[in-house]
Amino acid sequence: MNLARQNNNADLDYARLVRKSKRLESIPGARTLRLAILSDAATQQFVPLLRALFHENGVNVEIYEGAFDALELEILNPASALYAFQPDFIVLANATQALRGRYYQAGAGDFLENAAARILEAWDAIGDFSTARIIQFNYSLPYERPFGNYDLKVPHSFYSIAAALNLHIAEGARERPNVLVCDVEAIASWIGRRDWFDDRLWNMAKSFCRLDHLPLVAQSVVDIALAAFGRLVKCVVLDLDNTLWGGVVGDDGALGIAIGPHGDGEAFYHFQQYLLSLKRRGILLAVCSKNNPEAALSPFLENPGMALSRDDFAVFVANWENKADNLRTIRDTLRIGFDSMVFLDDNPFERNLVRDRLPEIIVPELPEDPADYVRAVSELNLFETASFSDEDVERAEQYRQEAGRMEVERAFSNIDDFLKSLEMKMEIGRFEKAKIPRIAQLLQRSNQFNLTTHRYNDAECEKMMLDGNCIPLYASLRDRFGDHGLISVVILRRTPDALAISDWLMSCRVLARGVEQFLMNYVVYLALREGLPKITGDYLPTAKNAMVKEFYARFGFEKVAENKGRTVWHLDPAAYEPRTVYIREEGEVSTAAG
Amino acid sequence: MERAIVTERLNGIFQDIFDDPSLVVRDELTASDVDGWDSLSHINLIVAVEKEFRIKLTTGEVRGLNNVGDFIALIVKKAA
Repeated sequence: MNLARQNNNADLDYARLVRKSKRLESIPGARTLRLAILSDAATQQFVPLLRALFHENGVNVEIYEGAFDALELEILNPASALYAFQPDFIVLANATQALRGRYYQAGAGDFLENAAARILEAWDAIGDFSTARIIQFNYSLPYERPFGNYDLKVPHSFYSIAAALNLHIAEGARERPNVLVCDVEAIASWIGRRDWFDDRLWNMAKSFCRLDHLPLVAQSVVDIALAAFGRLVKCVVLDLDNTLWGGVVGDDGALGIAIGPHGDGEAFYHFQQYLLSLKRRGILLAVCSKNNPEAALSPFLENPGMALSRDDFAVFVANWENKADNLRTIRDTLRIGFDSMVFLDDNPFERNLVRDRLPEIIVPELPEDPADYVRAVSELNLFETASFSDEDVERAEQYRQEAGRMEVERAFSNIDDFLKSLEMKMEIGRFEKAKIPRIAQLLQRSNQFNLTTHRYNDAECEKMMLDGNCIPLYASLRDRFGDHGLISVVILRRTPDALAISDWLMSCRVLARGVEQFLMNYVVYLALREGLPKITGDYLPTAKNAMVKEFYARFGFEKVAENKGRTVWHLDPAAYEPRTVYIREEGEVSTAAG
Repeated sequence: MERAIVTERLNGIFQDIFDDPSLVVRDELTASDVDGWDSLSHINLIVAVEKEFRIKLTTGEVRGLNNVGDFIALIVKKAA
């Protein structure tokens, strides 16, 4: 599976996408995503755009179109065709125009409470009958304001009600990990309401906006779905001169560059603040600059106008090598894929060089005026995500700790001595409710060290938690430098004659620490304790997980079948030689369901 | 705008929307004569015509169209 953003800077022309949708061929080797769409508006115009845009993003899609204006009918019936379709995503495309119709029919009264309850009921029914994730449209705010500016002061005006419903949707979604919001109102206001609504098209064809704007909405749905399936930007790599500040630090000096909350430096200051907000939400920042290292660092140490500090960057590379090579170094240090990196540089030469040499990296155009940097980057919607947890916030800190470990590692001549010096402690446990968000996130994000790449969501994880034949395990690791957090997931299934490893994945941050050896020792111990004569495991190849192709071979498993790259492995636990590790276990482990 | 020019440009739009480079429009042509002329492609057709001729059609005008001849006449009038 390749989830690289292949239509970066996409041409979102309606007619082009409709033409394209007529000639789609399925992409060999790509994953197929199942998406259902239910709406009280027409979806015929919308669905071809979804097909074309998923295709441009390198993903096959099966789409189920519910009947017009029959949302509840399908959602509340567990035997409906909707659930028989077994969607990965259910898009609830509610339209302001349909809401308006119901509002004028029902009268103000308790309309808001009823409309909000109706949405929550639909979500909860979907949660009961399906593990699909919900992509809920919010309402584009209407243009009619019978009270004029006074409209907002009248709680039962249609305008106030649409705004209040959007709040209900946002608050309800915060409490439900299976609900993601497609912020249609943000798109409508970006376009401008005057241009967004086309009531003639609504009357004739029940289209919820002008056709020209439909591709933007479809792209949003695609962005959300692909983020939920692991297409995430993890790192932003930045140039320094004329990108993070105005001027050239080597010539102008640490205090001579333009940076600060006022005057010439304000555009750059705003950009730095925006980058800081990305870092706080878990995106790693890195520097890749053609400069002397001392000069490159000097503004961070000496210039009080900087919003970013040296510690905000996970990696800092300043030298005179070419940027493609430096980006390789950054990737190797962070152990992430090129397709999860964004490179921002004001210099078109550098951008083109990187595009040419490393086509997987996302390299947006930057506008000439630095005042437009934040807008240009925001408009691309590069930082879509389907989850946000405390671990995101701590990630940058963890990468900095990792840099400390790497320094210590260099001081030891012997790897065993180094590993002993880390004083690693691991906690293994059965999935538990409080840990599900992070577990589901790791399932979404791990690409390289991932044997089968099943993207289970929160609901599916909770199901496993309660399944007596399933042993869903997480592992957390800490050492004397800090806490790595939850870094590995191993899902086992008990069968009558074997312990089957259905999933095994690990964050690449903890490669070569002995984590997988520790866990394999533990899996073998479980099989022996349960008296199971065999351990089985599968490897399913993807575009990214070649790293673990021989994972089972390394532990002495025997390959018993091979088909189109998929391999099946067996191990006799009694014949297994426990691996040497320098990790101590902490905490109690219970493998029983509960 | 001249009828001949309108007809020629409309022909291009029809070929594009119905994905048929051999399609030739004539006045008597109706939705039932063209493969794929359904409610979805009808809307796409209207929107493409509005864009091509930089005109805006009212709901009433769209509903009043019975065949391609009506369509051409309407465009000729509006795109004056």
